Amino acid sequence: MASNHQAVSSQQNKRRAEKDEPWIVSGGYFDFQTLFLTIIIVLIGLMMVYSASSYKAVLYTGDSAYFVKKQARFALFGLFVVYAVSRVNYKKYKIFSKVMMVGAIALCGIVFILGISTNGATRWIPIGSFQFQPSEVAKIAIIIYMSHVCVVQLKNLETLGGIFRMCLLPIICIGLIAIENLSTAIVCAGVMIVILFVSSPKFLNIVAFALICVAGAAVMLFATGYRTDRIDAWLHPETSEHGFQTMQSLYAIGSGGLFGRGLGQSIQKMGFLPESHNDMIFSVICEELGLFGALGIMILFVMLLMRMWFIAKHTEDSFGGFIVTGVMTHIAVQLIINIGVVTNTIPPTGVTLPLISYGGTSLVTMLIEIGLVLSVSRRIKPINAS
Amino acid sequence: MLACLLILVIMLARLTTIMLVKSEEYGQMARDIQERERSIKAPRGIIYDRNGNVIAGNKPVCSISVIHSQITDKEEVIRVLSEKLELDDAEVRKKVEKVSSREKIKSNVDKAIADEIRALDLDGVMVDEDYKRYYPYSTLASKVIGFTGGDNQGIVGLEVMYDDVLMGTDGSIKTLTDARGIEIPNVAETRVEPIAGNNLIISIDVNIQQYIEQMAAEILEKRNAKRVCIIVMNPQNGEIYAMTDYPEYNLNDPFTLTYTPEEGISNEDALNNMWRNFCINDTYEPGSTFKIVTATSAFEEGVLTENDGFYCPGYKIVEDRKIRCHKVVGHGSETFKEGIMNSCNPVFMEIGARVGANQFYYYMDKLGLFEKTGVDLPGEANSIFHKLENVGSVELATMSFGQSFQITPLQLMRAVSAIINGGTLVTPHFGVYITDENNNIIDRLEYETVEGVVSEETSETMKYLLEAVVSEGTGKNAYIEGYTIGGKTATSEKLPRSSNKYISSFIGFAPADNPQVLTLVLIDEPEGVYYGGTIAAPVVADIYTNILPYLGIEKK
Repeated sequence: MASNHQAVSSQQNKRRAEKDEPWIVSGGYFDFQTLFLTIIIVLIGLMMVYSASSYKAVLYTGDSAYFVKKQARFALFGLFVVYAVSRVNYKKYKIFSKVMMVGAIALCGIVFILGISTNGATRWIPIGSFQFQPSEVAKIAIIIYMSHVCVVQLKNLETLGGIFRMCLLPIICIGLIAIENLSTAIVCAGVMIVILFVSSPKFLNIVAFALICVAGAAVMLFATGYRTDRIDAWLHPETSEHGFQTMQSLYAIGSGGLFGRGLGQSIQKMGFLPESHNDMIFSVICEELGLFGALGIMILFVMLLMRMWFIAKHTEDSFGGFIVTGVMTHIAVQLIINIGVVTNTIPPTGVTLPLISYGGTSLVTMLIEIGLVLSVSRRIKPINAS
Repeated sequence: MLACLLILVIMLARLTTIMLVKSEEYGQMARDIQERERSIKAPRGIIYDRNGNVIAGNKPVCSISVIHSQITDKEEVIRVLSEKLELDDAEVRKKVEKVSSREKIKSNVDKAIADEIRALDLDGVMVDEDYKRYYPYSTLASKVIGFTGGDNQGIVGLEVMYDDVLMGTDGSIKTLTDARGIEIPNVAETRVEPIAGNNLIISIDVNIQQYIEQMAAEILEKRNAKRVCIIVMNPQNGEIYAMTDYPEYNLNDPFTLTYTPEEGISNEDALNNMWRNFCINDTYEPGSTFKIVTATSAFEEGVLTENDGFYCPGYKIVEDRKIRCHKVVGHGSETFKEGIMNSCNPVFMEIGARVGANQFYYYMDKLGLFEKTGVDLPGEANSIFHKLENVGSVELATMSFGQSFQITPLQLMRAVSAIINGGTLVTPHFGVYITDENNNIIDRLEYETVEGVVSEETSETMKYLLEAVVSEGTGKNAYIEGYTIGGKTATSEKLPRSSNKYISSFIGFAPADNPQVLTLVLIDEPEGVYYGGTIAAPVVADIYTNILPYLGIEKK
């Protein structure tokens, strides 16, 4: 009884302590390395977006910097967001993690009603002259929600059924996303599973859960002919009618060689390679900067991920650790899928290269996540940090 | 984290494979789609006659094409092109409006017109330089020279025989383009310079060729003959100075028929007939000119001397057949010398029988009559003889005076050359030198010769006898003042014998003691008088009157 009482009181203390947490934090440790790596990657991204999009920009708008100007505005806005989010006490998100999750599901549903189609998939919601992708917002919601439930519902992790109960809302959200955008759904599912994985003491449960998710994805994959076409395009890009983009990407990468054609010298971006400033930007990087340029960018990402790994390990509480893990997973999975697609290592699917590809929503979302990481980093003891 | 790193390493490995190992392959594939290649045509080698006159040359022409995506003023382009190129407006419009990377409007456009179009500097109109084969003498030696096709490749005659020599290597300009085919500015273009084809110097002499063609034309008209073939050759080395199978055709317009073909003959066959060179592509019964070979065989075999006596009653009975002499009443008693001067058939039947089929075939083989001459023209025909085992007395007798087998005119020329040049079997030919762009000789063409196919002694005897034929015998119409000429007439009845169609011919050489020129005149199906001695021999006299001084052969 006594111990039980103590436990209850400690929980009450904890809740009280959380209530007492300030909304805005300042001072303490701040992980400048994460910030600087992020800024470097974003700047390289702007440079490459300019290079990759200038041809199309001149062709359609007459202004070679049309796309990069738009992207630069998002990047600037994103940096303020990074700062702002890093000042907000991440612990306060627990209060509305559920609300965010439900909101994300709602947005992903609304897309089907209000959405705009591009390239045969409905992924956009227009707000005035501006469009945004709810699936990007959903990523943040899933990271925070999963981090929260894994902290408060530790018991549920013991059973498979418990895990499903915990993950019910994210799964609904992922399901909605998967209808139109399988690759984003895979990214979200990856984030969800990895957070479960790091929080769970029961390794096998998570493996079983992951396998079920993979099975679900496989069903989705073969449910529609459109996606089996992609498998064909992956295995036989030279002959498949959907293999055009893949082949153009391989041409670009192959043309790069060790040192590349030189910045701005890509030929494939001149109308040969579709989505050259977007999902396929890594091909242009390879063509212009060569293997060394590509390796350099990959190293920057690895450094960023290692910084986050460090922050995650040294957080004050597991909620923060899970959030950072989620963000890490998000970046890592998108990075791997993107490079996998352009090199035809995996079947073609549309995933942006984090922080680099053209696209406002995805850049700002990514920068919000970086802000979250920086917010968590403020609670690390400086001694540990050094 | 570790898993993530591992996957990234795998990605890096994959990237390395693509960018280093397969870089060449993908890079090439990329260039294939990015580069637009424009070829720079290489001029084809020139064919010169022995004195350096251009027989086959090149004329600069242009091809005009449009690039759809670069056209800014469509109507203007259509108007200008249809006007300047004299094309139908609708046709040009169709090509201009067609969405293709490059559409050819017209090729072989005169350079002056192309320059006018270029000067207008219309967007999307491309003017490319090209060469068109041009024959300054149009019909001259057409059946020898031949012509080229649309890609300047040889089709018939020397043009195809020496295609490898004459054909240049096209160069190219490779420019990088974007996906719409627009050239990317400020990117270095790869330029491969064209290599001009080598030139060919042939043994034909334009002046002699023109003269014999003029003669052939006259005879053709005068005798209303089907064709007149004249070959003028150096019997010492096989160089052919002139060769005509008249009528010739226009090399600058080789697809227009010069005659009305018989009904039921396709245009293609009619054209092939027009391009056909009787001198080498067809065979005929040589008739009495072949008696030269029979006599040579007999002298070589040692069964004949020039003073041997014969008797001609106007025929000779061979087995159960009575084979007639052309002189029905007979030549009576005569020596062999008189026999050859009279072209007496029984005399040659007699000496043919003395030689025997086996040895006759042996000497004909030595004189190259069973093989192609090896002349450097395509499609040469070979002779048609009885099989040796089928040659009985009758066959042998008829072969002795040039019937019952067929050879090409050039095979006869070659055999007679060997007989009169001291016994060297030469290869008749046209090609002499191959020169480069700057007319430096890079190759002297060599031809096979076989020495000693006839003994010096027999050769001397034959020259003496054949000179007698012209000075005193059936060939007297070939005689010209101041020169010694040797020769032999022939009047061959074409098959079937009942058709009463003849080939009248004369083969003659000069000077008789040291032959420098050997000429064969062959008149196919003359009307009226058809004796070779009457109609063909004077042609040779006429030719020699003109060309012997021209060739620097002094009067005696």
